[in-house]
Amino acid sequence: MKAVGARLPRYDGVAHVTGQTQYVDDIRIRGTLWTKALRSPHHNAAITRLDTSKAEALPGVHAVVTHKDVPHNVYGHLEALGIPADEPLLAVDEVRYKGQPIAAVAAVDEDTAREAVSLIEIEYEERPAFFDIRKAMDPDSPQIHQWGPVYPHFGSYNHRRVRKGDIDAAFEQADTIVEGVYRPQAIEHCPIEPQTALVVPEANGRLTIYSCTQAMYFSMGVVAAHLQWPLNKLKFVGGTVGGGFGGKVDTASETISALLALKAKRPVKWRWTREEEFLASSTRAPWHMELADAVTSDGWILGRRMTTLHDAGAYARFSPYGVTKHAFHHTGAYTIPNVHFDGFVVFTNRVPTTAMRGFGVTSVSFAVETHMNRIAEVLGIDPLQLRLKNANRIGDTTPNRVVLKDPSTVPVVLAAADRVGYDLPDEYKSMTNERRSGDLLPPHLVDQLGGSDASTNGGGR
Amino acid sequence: MIAFEEERRVTSTSLENAELVLPTSRDEAVHAFGDGSGVAVLGGGTILMPELSYGRLRPKRVLLLQDAGLSGVARNGGSLTIGAMTTVAELEQGPEPLGTAARNVADHEIRAQATLGGNLCAPAGGATPRGDLQAALIALGAQVKTAGKDGERTEPIEDFLAAPDRRLVLEVEIEEPQRAGYAAAHRPHAHAYTIVAVCAAETSAGLRVGLTGAGPSGVRAHSVEDALAAGASTQEAAQKALDDAQLQDDALASAWYRQRLLPVLVRRALDDLEGGT
Amino acid sequence: MRLTVNGEPRDLHSPPLTSLLTALREELEITSPKAGCHQGGCGACTVLVDGEARRSCLLPLAAVDGAAITTLEGLGTSDNLSSVQAAFDEHYAAQCGFCTSGFIMAATALIDRTPKASREDILTALSGHVCRCTGYIKIVSAVEAAAKGDVHPERVEPSFEPEEAEVLIPGSPA
Repeated sequence: MKAVGARLPRYDGVAHVTGQTQYVDDIRIRGTLWTKALRSPHHNAAITRLDTSKAEALPGVHAVVTHKDVPHNVYGHLEALGIPADEPLLAVDEVRYKGQPIAAVAAVDEDTAREAVSLIEIEYEERPAFFDIRKAMDPDSPQIHQWGPVYPHFGSYNHRRVRKGDIDAAFEQADTIVEGVYRPQAIEHCPIEPQTALVVPEANGRLTIYSCTQAMYFSMGVVAAHLQWPLNKLKFVGGTVGGGFGGKVDTASETISALLALKAKRPVKWRWTREEEFLASSTRAPWHMELADAVTSDGWILGRRMTTLHDAGAYARFSPYGVTKHAFHHTGAYTIPNVHFDGFVVFTNRVPTTAMRGFGVTSVSFAVETHMNRIAEVLGIDPLQLRLKNANRIGDTTPNRVVLKDPSTVPVVLAAADRVGYDLPDEYKSMTNERRSGDLLPPHLVDQLGGSDASTNGGGR
Repeated sequence: MIAFEEERRVTSTSLENAELVLPTSRDEAVHAFGDGSGVAVLGGGTILMPELSYGRLRPKRVLLLQDAGLSGVARNGGSLTIGAMTTVAELEQGPEPLGTAARNVADHEIRAQATLGGNLCAPAGGATPRGDLQAALIALGAQVKTAGKDGERTEPIEDFLAAPDRRLVLEVEIEEPQRAGYAAAHRPHAHAYTIVAVCAAETSAGLRVGLTGAGPSGVRAHSVEDALAAGASTQEAAQKALDDAQLQDDALASAWYRQRLLPVLVRRALDDLEGGT
Repeated sequence: MRLTVNGEPRDLHSPPLTSLLTALREELEITSPKAGCHQGGCGACTVLVDGEARRSCLLPLAAVDGAAITTLEGLGTSDNLSSVQAAFDEHYAAQCGFCTSGFIMAATALIDRTPKASREDILTALSGHVCRCTGYIKIVSAVEAAAKGDVHPERVEPSFEPEEAEVLIPGSPA
């Protein structure tokens, strides 16, 4: 523990302040070709014709790729975990979001590549677009995904569910039901470095891929899967990322650049413009969360019913994982013995959504903490006292029945109150995270503690 | 460039294809502009350069005005003549409400480069209104001198903004106001164009109110001016601004939001005017 | 076109309407100015043009013919950092580093022009620069330190002797 609390210089600090740090776009390889992509101008459309011959014939163009050039044209980070892939690398006969890549060109310079893209002949048949996740199950909503309105692969369910305790009994016992709807919106990560890849075909048959990815081994696996190559033919160079925040977890530019490099037999660089970054790079998801809590007049939360709709955008990507994390955190830092949670991954025609700082959890934290204040207001109880009373303590169990060994809710709330000079009664100031007893162990929590003893012996998980 | 020397490129879409004209006097600039067809005017570059860099614009001729002698502010009694190439930074200390409007444009690096002429000619860009100085110039009763088809002409700024033909702005004349007021809603960071700005000024020609963010370009709020002249309270008159505005949804705000914002800001600008500056 | 770049005269052959940013990066291979947006919105490409901070993406080469350009490479070197560079390193004002060059150039221009720059001056001078990692507090602290001359250019050597850490959360392992 020598480094904890010590003041250490950044290992890359001097390189950053002298401009010596090399990001992907700073790497120069002689003979590099430049890339531009044909992207969908529509939110939802069938592609009825695609002809790249004029683009290919343009002087200075070295390669044009479409879905026909992709050995394995499905994109799915989680295939290895048994989650099927639903997204083409390059669109085949339809596009489902504005900005979706359809074809890409490598040419001697970006002007030529842009001109070649404009020469690609394509025709669309526009379809109605769908954006309102609340209407996903409506029979008259446009069907946009081959799997139906929601991601269907949560085991035998079409949603992530959590059940614990007896939710009906909790609502019967409640003095009051407090309801709330919370809808945080999409956020673009907006790293200052736009998405960039440089792919160099080597004489030994391998590809060297300079990548701005946040997730080297994800990206390596994804590129290998698309190319149907063994991993040992790919050399990834990365680690220097000009901001990511989750937005560079998806493999966005490497594979298409690799296909172009292989076809052109030349190094290929693809750097997205800021416009492309806003249009076509994934964002944090918009969420729709509905909560109803069964509470007692003296401030105990007996039960929570929650339904979450997560906007996945046009394809699944990491969304099922995000909703699973969200589900596990849906009681926040508080103990609620009876829960009933349903979380749906809903498909829309927005750009696919992805991880961003606290994937799946920031949304539910926002909802839970706002809801705590709402409960306090309805009951006329001090909001910090409400939090301290219901705070996780040693031996409490989470919604997915993990027994907590050292939860920090109580000391963190007390430290925060102290820092801002927030006065609390002595019995609250002296609270700790020790196991529940006395006033802090009302009848409705006794069973839970009993259950937690059982689960530490191997049951209940 | 990095491309191998011998490789063929598409020169018709290359920047090399543009003819660059660098006039060294006002007359040369007017002559080179001609009737404006096929000419892109590069003043400070803050609007045109992204169009060129993104490949959205490949003009045949580009008129670079920096050496054309069109910058500077000349005082003549109670009026000011401001050259089209005067930078927004130079206007920061100008008469109110122009000074405040100028200080609210982007950040100081952009202000040092962006010009008055560019701000007047700014098309609504991408998904946002542009031309934050237009409301101030409307309030100050600016007269705009331009060149183009049928020679030179001078006209009130509202006429210039409404005219469909492309013209080269040469200079703008304004009168120092007796009183001025300003109110705006903008995001608390640099760069975002102003959501809505309201400028009011009283000159020898009377009280005028100009709006930005209330239409595709700056708008004169005649209805507000008329209501005040007829003795309405500032509160009542402010509400009339909605009659003059053409509110739109864009990347900065919805028309709904602007509709609620506009009367409040008009009232604040009028109060600011009453407060005396 | 001829420019003086970091003190050296350089002839450029890029088309005159090429942005200064593209010419620096692609023709001269001076890569510290970054192309974050190519439309004047992020500040990552800011360089000094005759001593003044300017967005290199918004300047055509033709507009700066004959000018003196300074980029981050033209300030201090690794073993002789300028005061602004040293302050950025010392105050952890760079995280991913992509916006850092633009911030340092803008701060350098400010301190050259206003040696005793106030916090307000700093906020104004940096207001057009976007950083997505730091939240700006460390950047502003670094520039304040540089403006006050409170800079220690000798590198902080790694020290594994922990300072007495303030206990924020009673009972926590820290």
